[in-house]
Amino acid sequence: MRITNSMLVNNMISNLGKNLSRMEKYQQKLATGKKISVSSDDPVVAARALKLRTDVSQIEQYKKNVKDAMSWLEITESAIADVGDILQRVRELAVQASNGATTPEDTKKICEEVKQLKTQLVNLGNATYAGRHIFSGFKTNQKLLNDDGSFAIDVDSTEVIIYQIGIADSININVTGGDFFNGGGTATTGAFGTIFEDMDNFITALDNGDYDVINETLGKLDIQQNNLLRIRADIGARYNRLELTDNRLGNDGLNFTKLMSENEDIDQAENIMLLKSEENVYRASLAGGARIIQPSLVDFLK
Amino acid sequence: MNPGFFGLEIAVRGLYTAQRNLDVINHNVNNINTPGYSRQIANQSASRPIALLNGTGMLGTGSDVTGINRIRDEYLDFKYWSENTTYGEWECKKALMADLEVTFNEPSNSGFSTMLDEFFNSLQELAKDPGSEAVRALVKERGITLAKYFNNMATHMEELQVDLNHQINTKVNRINSLGSQIQQLNKQIYRSELDGNVANDLRDQRTLLIDELSKLVNIDVHEVVAGKLPNGKEDKRMLITINGKPFVDHYDLTKLAVKQRADKLNPEEDVVNLYEVMWEDGNSIQIRGGELKGLLDIRDGNEGENGSPLYKGIPFYIKKLNQFVRVFAQAFNEGIIGGVDMEGHADGIGADNSTGVRFFTMLGTGNLPMSSSDFISNPDCYNELTAKNFCVSSDIINDISKIATSDTPDQIGNIENINKLIKMRNNTHMFTEGAPEDFMKSIVSNLGIDSQMAVRMSANQNAMIRQVENQRLSESGVSMDEEMANMVKHQQAYNAAAIMINTMSEIYDILINRVGL
Repeated sequence: MRITNSMLVNNMISNLGKNLSRMEKYQQKLATGKKISVSSDDPVVAARALKLRTDVSQIEQYKKNVKDAMSWLEITESAIADVGDILQRVRELAVQASNGATTPEDTKKICEEVKQLKTQLVNLGNATYAGRHIFSGFKTNQKLLNDDGSFAIDVDSTEVIIYQIGIADSININVTGGDFFNGGGTATTGAFGTIFEDMDNFITALDNGDYDVINETLGKLDIQQNNLLRIRADIGARYNRLELTDNRLGNDGLNFTKLMSENEDIDQAENIMLLKSEENVYRASLAGGARIIQPSLVDFLK
Repeated sequence: MNPGFFGLEIAVRGLYTAQRNLDVINHNVNNINTPGYSRQIANQSASRPIALLNGTGMLGTGSDVTGINRIRDEYLDFKYWSENTTYGEWECKKALMADLEVTFNEPSNSGFSTMLDEFFNSLQELAKDPGSEAVRALVKERGITLAKYFNNMATHMEELQVDLNHQINTKVNRINSLGSQIQQLNKQIYRSELDGNVANDLRDQRTLLIDELSKLVNIDVHEVVAGKLPNGKEDKRMLITINGKPFVDHYDLTKLAVKQRADKLNPEEDVVNLYEVMWEDGNSIQIRGGELKGLLDIRDGNEGENGSPLYKGIPFYIKKLNQFVRVFAQAFNEGIIGGVDMEGHADGIGADNSTGVRFFTMLGTGNLPMSSSDFISNPDCYNELTAKNFCVSSDIINDISKIATSDTPDQIGNIENINKLIKMRNNTHMFTEGAPEDFMKSIVSNLGIDSQMAVRMSANQNAMIRQVENQRLSESGVSMDEEMANMVKHQQAYNAAAIMINTMSEIYDILINRVGL
């Protein structure tokens, strides 16, 4: 093939251009830390990157939801534990009042204490989490109980608040007022829950010195304790499930972030090496070009 | 027996021949860097000999330069032009697809998937605290951001389409200008070659113009033989056709023209008054290659719908965005997913017990968001929704308590409805492609693959035309070494001829001045 000067110059310029553009690619990768900057660099990586970003973002959100669900359950659990303590105290007082050796003075004191405990119970029934009433079902902006212990609102047992904690995973985080204060039933406006019925009966009995009713109260309080234990066990189980989910989401988060990084991040060491080698090629082609272009017969004719 | 001063005659011819050769070399060296230049050589031959009468045979009379030719393989030119057309098309598409990719800006932390993720994350937050004004405001703002993202995309694409329209006009003007320059050169070349010469430099210039023309539009170039000239040579005329119809026919030129379309090619996606490329005489033309095709494909390409080019250009992506907002808005507002009517935002109940509120509507008069009732009063509302007019309804913007979270009145903590909306995020029946991000993923990978193809095609074609260009330069380029060697050769021939004159001069000196003295 006949080689002409223009060919040499053209080829050199185009090869230098190619070398430079390869170097630019590696430099861009080095600067951004990413394998691709536009989807055409690698459509497969780009499509996966989109999916993984969404996955990671959803997992982050689910983790937040789990944390919030846990705090809600913690507040509920502590309210229920307090109710448990109150019931325990009421039971002790009932035992004390029922043994027949108490003076009317003592009975009156016991009665006063039980009344105080009832008020305390009403306060617990209206407990809030971040300004929302936790036992009010869907009516979180309204109090569950009136001061006399009767229900202030209707709460149906279907009013369960569900948090999403996974793509196909959700958990109910509330305990409805009826379930808790009405022995597993529903709450109806104006009616009294079984707990308050029992308390009121006890107070009346103490006032009247009716020892039969006081004795009966012991059995009823045991039923309430059982109901409470059932709910506490349920909350414990739910909390436990949330902890497991939290762990799993933590692992998923790590895994997906790792996948995302493997998918789109560059191997810095490898990239620097490739950049260096491109740099050498570029230098060599510059040096070669300088040699080729320079001499011609013109330089040797005197 | 030597006639007269015959020796001097021969030597002078030698001088002329060498000088003519040096002239040609001089010309070559001067044009070593002239684009499109083909090296020229002087055709040199021994001049007509004299028959000697005494039977010695034929006596040579020196040399003559009989013509100056350019060294050119015209087959390579034809090859270059046909490859250059494809190169022009893909080079143009490569640049424009890169523009589109930047518009979509994926994968990134500010693209579509981020917008959608953030919108749904705000809904999740609202589900956890449905009574909170702050979270409701967040949902509203995220909704507006999502809608604005689509508005911006659509506007950007429309601007790109308008920009391409201007470029098409400019390209057509350039094509016409090249055509008329070629037409002028045809006249000059034809006249100069009537006497049998070759118009080397003019032909080089014409080839260079055709090189440029071939990158712009698909052309076929022929040199048609139209009979014989009086001197017996072939009467060659240049004919350049586009799709078989003559563009430059020897001395004639039929220009291309642009005309604003009365009806849009893609009724839903196009901006108004785009140019249609046609012949100046009103006939229609189908551009099949070159930069002009690249521009037309990207400006009009909608997968062949309504007779648009069979390419995924701007209208295709606008169509996809429109499709997305329509399906998404209908699913979110009405709960209609895959033809099944489930519960959507309009079926839920807001904090103020409002119901039937559509979260997303479109921009109405004065480019202001429409209210839910105005929007829904149009039975065709979802078909009129586009990426450009997609917005959050004025009801929601004016009163965030209208965001429907509940399914029963007066239950502020009820999140039955918003939970249904949140689940749409992963509903794989929403689009034929799957969930919302699957739809977008398919758009982005479509764009990525097409853009990658344009990059590869353009690189391949570039390699191809560089190969042909190298062959052309190998054949026609000026080699400095060669010219210098020839220069020395002819300089020496000149020197030798000059010495011959000296020698002859001495011979005549002896004959005239000394013989007989």
